[in-house]
Amino acid sequence: MSPSEPPRAAAGDLSPQEPAARRPLALAGEASLRRRLVARDEQALVELIELASPWLLGLTTSMLSDQEEAEEVVLEVFATAWERIGALGDQHDALLPWLLRIARNRAIDRLRRRRRWRLKLARAEAYGELPADRVRAREVDEAAQPGWHVHESVHAALEGLPPDQREVVRLAYFQGLTHSEIATRLGIPMGTVKTRLRLAFDKLRVSLAGIKDWLA
Amino acid sequence: MTAHDWYVENRAGFVARSLEPGEERTYRDHLIRCEECSREVARLERELGWLPMGSRPTAPPPGFSRRTAAEVLDRPNRWRWRVPLAAAAGLALAAGGAALSARREGHELKALLVARETRLAALEDTLSVLRRANMVLQTQISMNGHQGGMLIFQDAASHRWCVIVHGLPPAPAGSKYQFWFITETGMVRSVEVDAAMEHPAIMTLPMPGSAAPVMGAALTMEPAVSRSDEPTGPTLAHVVF
Repeated sequence: MSPSEPPRAAAGDLSPQEPAARRPLALAGEASLRRRLVARDEQALVELIELASPWLLGLTTSMLSDQEEAEEVVLEVFATAWERIGALGDQHDALLPWLLRIARNRAIDRLRRRRRWRLKLARAEAYGELPADRVRAREVDEAAQPGWHVHESVHAALEGLPPDQREVVRLAYFQGLTHSEIATRLGIPMGTVKTRLRLAFDKLRVSLAGIKDWLA
Repeated sequence: MTAHDWYVENRAGFVARSLEPGEERTYRDHLIRCEECSREVARLERELGWLPMGSRPTAPPPGFSRRTAAEVLDRPNRWRWRVPLAAAAGLALAAGGAALSARREGHELKALLVARETRLAALEDTLSVLRRANMVLQTQISMNGHQGGMLIFQDAASHRWCVIVHGLPPAPAGSKYQFWFITETGMVRSVEVDAAMEHPAIMTLPMPGSAAPVMGAALTMEPAVSRSDEPTGPTLAHVVF
């Protein structure tokens, strides 16, 4: 994950075994997909996995710095989604934010378990000092990826934050560090961490408000 | 700052999951009871729902989608089994327990009544200390960015104190809040304070039995396992008459 990096040109292509991931769908397509999932349409599950996996893997890989563990988390996410899709009901959450939230929570749970085993800090420090490509095992044709325009909007919103607020968002939201860990890492008071995070979220909730459709 | 202000101030931290684990549990408990915070947290989560897409996509390994779909579909649907199992267990319990239930019900009601009477007596006792207090002391406490406080009501007649500690987060893992009496001959260890943001800790304490008069009180942060007769950790509050 590198929310502070500028978007890069497409660097590769998807495997020919994953053709549906390149098929753009409209918002109506998501509604239809959701209905089919609720109806336990197994083909719809395959389509959802093909569409959402690159984003879920991107998030979890960047948080966990471990491709295999990231894949385990993504499997758990789809298992949870398949089990609970009926409970999502008519909430106006789009499918992908829902899946991303589950994935992020699972990744943070794993990070916290690592901390208990006293492994976390070494890994987080190592990851913090490594280039983002260190954990990118496979390239993806980013611009062709459904949802890429959303990534660009989010990226622009993050770029629009003052650097000190962006850094706190990066450490808290994308690396799963706690307030005290961030304060220690940046050498600032914990109250400042909280204030920066709150101010950043206030700006982000405004700048992300226009995003409606990831499958357009 | 009220206790609720802490929850308002930390909404972003809760949504980011950057609160400390103990604080996160406290916050989650609060959401069950506070409709306003529950609504605002849900709204913030929704408004920031796209934020994780700040991460770049990663191409899945070949065959990942089909393999994942197969594994998800092969998993037994937990709910499919849970419901009949729970129903069966419930029926078995109901059948087996029917004979015992009538007798147990009487015992349970009696125990409940005794527990409530005890609780009521304790509340009346606490209230009596507050009403008869001949001295009231208060001090502010700062703890990890939280502003809390400690109130002490002294009832000289019954030789007891009512101590109220409020606005402090739970003690960090491996630590505890320790209350001390300050006497002319030194510190006397009293009780461990179970602090929580959502409600004050209220304790009615007998003053130490030693001959040395009590001059004040202190609150320190001690290692959870400490049984030391003297404070070893940082002092959070210190009041002297």
